[in-house]
Amino acid sequence: MPPRIHIRPRTLRLRTSAPVSRVATASYASVAQVKPTPAPAFERGDRPAAPIVLYPPTQPPSHKRPEERKTQLHRQYQSLLKSSPLMLIFQHNNVKAVEWMSIRRELAIALRKIDAERVAAGQEPIADQIRIQVIQTNIFASALKVVEFFTSSELPTDHPTDPRTATSARVPLTGNKVDDERFTHGLSRHAYEVANDRKLKHDLEPLLSGPLAVVAFPQVSPQHLKTVLQILAPSAPDFPAPKRKANPDYYEPAVQSGLQKLMLLGARVEGKVFDLEGTKWVGSIPGGIEGLRASLVQMLQGIGGSLTSALEGASRSLYFTVESRRMDMEEKENPKKEGGEEKKE
Amino acid sequence: MITRFLTEVRVAFNPFSPRSKPARLFLSLIPADARSNGMLVQSTMLPRTSKQNATLGVKFKDGKEMNLDLSKMRITEVMEEVDRHSRTLARKEELSGN
Repeated sequence: MPPRIHIRPRTLRLRTSAPVSRVATASYASVAQVKPTPAPAFERGDRPAAPIVLYPPTQPPSHKRPEERKTQLHRQYQSLLKSSPLMLIFQHNNVKAVEWMSIRRELAIALRKIDAERVAAGQEPIADQIRIQVIQTNIFASALKVVEFFTSSELPTDHPTDPRTATSARVPLTGNKVDDERFTHGLSRHAYEVANDRKLKHDLEPLLSGPLAVVAFPQVSPQHLKTVLQILAPSAPDFPAPKRKANPDYYEPAVQSGLQKLMLLGARVEGKVFDLEGTKWVGSIPGGIEGLRASLVQMLQGIGGSLTSALEGASRSLYFTVESRRMDMEEKENPKKEGGEEKKE
Repeated sequence: MITRFLTEVRVAFNPFSPRSKPARLFLSLIPADARSNGMLVQSTMLPRTSKQNATLGVKFKDGKEMNLDLSKMRITEVMEEVDRHSRTLARKEELSGN
């Protein structure tokens, strides 16, 4: 029977020098999944002992408490701003729930129609990702500042998992403290300080007050933009509202009274700010991005065609001379062969 | 804000100017069913480059018109101005027993 070894789990526990309150440091969404990385092995030799990371890789410490709705909205708006190159900003003045519902329905129906055309042309449908979404204005303004102005300090070039890293390199790891400047996520303390910097002004900032809603597009698609403008902010010559005969649902009182209370303020297109006129200009690009691309391709093909024919000319003439020479030689050879065969027979 | 004595609201503002905030907030103070109850609300969006001040024009049920320049006012001051006349109308209505 092997000797019994008494293990006292308390002595194996990580010791901190000072008792730290949970409120000050615990800013991880769930502590249950935390698996602290094991202590450094002896084989690492001269490398400094890496600090033990006390947070899961997907949940670096955040400045504000991550379980709160505000924090999660901030994160969500950051990802919305980063992932949508085209975004319309509306003000909504006391729109009722029924009106929101019917506006959303009309928008979805119109976008699905456009998408059916796109699918027929062999493109991906994006209608499901275009939605009108009410936002918390101040959180959105803060998220916009983080997205626009927060560039994380240069990434550490020596990463422990990178095979090019020299074994003697001192690897700077991000610590467990929130105020470490090497954190690159948008909820870090450094990002928070950037968002609270009053000297940094964004062009969109004056728009961000009052009750707002945004329509975010996953790609700059003037076709879809045109449809959205026709539904939500119709204006007579370029963006007419759908005809009553074609779309009687659009003229329901709930839709119409809701649309009266929606005001298009501006748009953010690939980081640039556009006002009402600019937005309409983007929406009126004929044929959308595909149209622009097609005309570009046509132009390039014209150049390419002449270039390839010029380049081909030399090789083709060479080919012809060689080929004619081969034919000549074959003709010279063939009668002999035929003669030989005849002799055999 | 007392809105039941307003018959017409005309707002013109440039959304890209920080001085147009009271104009936009005034629009958001109008109740949800005001338009269906006969209030005319007209908002004009000025282009981004315009230097024109944000303006508010209000008409009351007794025919009084009020034109305000919103560029130097805060939304509380705007509400005070509009409510001052609305309160006299409310008192008159109360005294006449309707």
